Amino acid sequence: MALRHTPFDPAQGGARGSLSGRARALGVARARQSWTIAKVELRRVFFARRGLWVYALALLPALSFFGHGVETKIRGERLARRGMTEPALMDSLREGESAEDVKKRLGKPAEERWSVRSKRVRQHEGNTGITTHVIEPAVAARFVRLNVIRPTYSGEPVARIYEFEVYGPDGPDNLALGRPATGSPPCRQDQGPEKAVNGSIAGGDTDKWCSEDRPLFLQVDLGATRPVKRFIVRHASAGGEGEDEESDTREFNIQVSLDGKAFTTVESGVAGFIEERTEYGQAVYFDGRREARLLFVDGKLESRNIDPLLNFEEDRMIFAGIFQFFYLRLAIFFGCLGMFMYLVRGEMSNRTLHYWFLAPARRDVLLAGKFAAGLIAAAVIFGGGALLAFTAMVWPHDAVDVQAYWSAGGMGHAFWYVAAAVLGCVGYGSVFLALGLYLRNPIVPAAVLLAWEGVNGILPHAVQKLSILYYLQSLCPVPASLDADAPTLIRLLAAPAAPASRPEAILGLLLLSAFVLWIASRAVGRMQISYGSDT
Amino acid sequence: MTPPAFAEGYGEAGGRPPSVVFEEVSKFYGEVLGVNRVTLNIPPGITSLVGPNGSGKTTLMNLMTGLIHPDHGRILMRGISPRDPEALMRMTGYATQYDTAPRWATGFTFITTGLLLFGYGRADAEEKAWKALERLGLTDAANRKVAAYSKGMRQRVRLAQAIAHDPDLLVLDEPLNGLDPLVRAETIDLFRSWGAAGKHVILSSHVLREVDVISDQVVLIANGMIMAEGTIRAVRDEIDEHPSQYIVRCRNASDVAARLFGEDHVTEIRLNNDRMSMLVMTRDRDRFARALGRIALDGHRIDAVVPADENVDALYEYLIGGE
Repeated sequence: MALRHTPFDPAQGGARGSLSGRARALGVARARQSWTIAKVELRRVFFARRGLWVYALALLPALSFFGHGVETKIRGERLARRGMTEPALMDSLREGESAEDVKKRLGKPAEERWSVRSKRVRQHEGNTGITTHVIEPAVAARFVRLNVIRPTYSGEPVARIYEFEVYGPDGPDNLALGRPATGSPPCRQDQGPEKAVNGSIAGGDTDKWCSEDRPLFLQVDLGATRPVKRFIVRHASAGGEGEDEESDTREFNIQVSLDGKAFTTVESGVAGFIEERTEYGQAVYFDGRREARLLFVDGKLESRNIDPLLNFEEDRMIFAGIFQFFYLRLAIFFGCLGMFMYLVRGEMSNRTLHYWFLAPARRDVLLAGKFAAGLIAAAVIFGGGALLAFTAMVWPHDAVDVQAYWSAGGMGHAFWYVAAAVLGCVGYGSVFLALGLYLRNPIVPAAVLLAWEGVNGILPHAVQKLSILYYLQSLCPVPASLDADAPTLIRLLAAPAAPASRPEAILGLLLLSAFVLWIASRAVGRMQISYGSDT
Repeated sequence: MTPPAFAEGYGEAGGRPPSVVFEEVSKFYGEVLGVNRVTLNIPPGITSLVGPNGSGKTTLMNLMTGLIHPDHGRILMRGISPRDPEALMRMTGYATQYDTAPRWATGFTFITTGLLLFGYGRADAEEKAWKALERLGLTDAANRKVAAYSKGMRQRVRLAQAIAHDPDLLVLDEPLNGLDPLVRAETIDLFRSWGAAGKHVILSSHVLREVDVISDQVVLIANGMIMAEGTIRAVRDEIDEHPSQYIVRCRNASDVAARLFGEDHVTEIRLNNDRMSMLVMTRDRDRFARALGRIALDGHRIDAVVPADENVDALYEYLIGGE
């Protein structure tokens, strides 16, 4: 529109030759207006109830480092109370030593825990398919019964028993041999229960009892009540059937009875399995600084890890990783999204934006005030959060270590972490302030921007300069390293771009933000109040 | 006291009385028309925008104060473009109909904050805020949250905010809504004193009767278009003189037309080609009805009389407060 009426436009004053005193006064007045706006907004951004999660994001690293510190301190005290070990003795530990020898030399460990783990292991060697069951003590029985609960490993619902042998406490005679046998209906006429007591397993398919009618059972009448001590069951693979013992009986039990009516279970078993027992022992020795974690397997020292309870260098690397991958990429990103997009968009949805537009202030002055408020709040929250996290990371460590670190550039690290956090707020703040002027829903732009910032590391160098993260990572004092075993895609995405020098990074970030803010000021100049149901 | 830096230079141009000028202003909301080719020249004094809900009053006021921008045409508020809020809002107060206030605001902080943006010192701003609150009878409620006010009090606090910096140009959207009679009378007195002092007081109402007594000018608006503009007397005459149209069906149209043409309130008659009906325009509906009655008594058969422009009639009746 050609009707602009700006008698004090500083640009005009400049064109006339010198900046007039009036124009300067106007500039001061506008700056004061911005500051007034910022002061009003500050309260809102700092204490917005809907913005409390921003504090949670900012304080999360500090809290976790603090928690880690407290935990280690408590652990160190507890270990020390239980007894300390000479450092030299701890270093003398060798793998393969027996637990008794270790205890004899080093004394009682500060912490120890022994456990026996037993597991059933499928046995593939030897006479698989034959299971032997010994009853202690022997029982008296006239009837013996084999109940098949899960007939196969393959899931096929067919029970196959080649031979069911019953022995007394003395004597090698199979009491069941040739005795009358009954059972659940056989698969075929020539696979009846008598085939399981005929003393032979070599006759192939027709030398077994086969049944698929539940309940699956095989019962033998021994003719008279006798003491019974041992059973041998020959399953499918004993008769040469099935691949890989898949057809062997998976679960069964053996019952005995005196009258053929009341049965007592004397044994339950699985075919083709043996039980493996391993004794594990864990012991911890502490020399006041380092902790030795010993693992014994069956009484022998299997492995030893001697690590300082507090590893300053490792903690600093973890901090670098958390700062770059969580704090910059997620916490500040989403924190600024919440704080800055809301600055204008929130007032639009609250229907209060027109009060600002009706103030005697240029729209860009208004925007500057709001941005200043958002930036101050974000910088205090996230800069403070970074400083707090750094302090919490350093706090539990040995004063001497800290002193050494401090004189070797540690203070510079702290400064650059805070600077990167604050500049991150400048960058992301300007972007989200601008987005909030154009867009109603923050989810889509946030996702797009997050993806953009994420894949940026693999883009050409010129394009990388259009991402906030590129500059922020260049400012980080310690490059964060990823585990080598992280998935390739993750490593690719998280790989920091070739860093810019610090002055370049700061200048680049500020220029990028200024450009985005310029776009935002044009947008806010064109902005119109539309609360939805106007007439 | 005028705050520094902004104080000078925004005076009115020339010796002419400064006025509010709209030139062929149109505003569309997407495809929907807001206001269409509005041309206005509003001199100082009290001017009322009158029209039914949805006619475009708020749109006009938002255009005046730069909350929205026109798609066509240009606007000058006492010589200043609404695109320049720094200059315009210094001398303008706008009490909107948006019934919202910032959550943090008490009546007092709400107004004081606004005044701080004018560049007043805190003491000055607080003094002016108290004065404005006092004028609208809100002194007792000053330190309570605006969000907890009653609807009428929120209406008043918006008025107080609009007048706190003593503007030359007041734009007030339905300012008398929700005011109790006492405050209402006091507010009207306030408007009158400002109008007399050469300020612009532009207010809106959907009932002409509500504002006709206090208005120096009225602007009738419907469907985004200006229907009439001028002093209340001129507008009333314009409405009264607005001819009504009727379609008359009868056997002997030519004769009936001849009889009707003799009546001085009939301005125009158009006979249909079938000679069975005609379109009659009259300035006086009552006398037209009586005339038709006489003609029928004289033996002319009149089959039907149908108003041809019911909508326009209804609108005018609505605007001037007919039942």
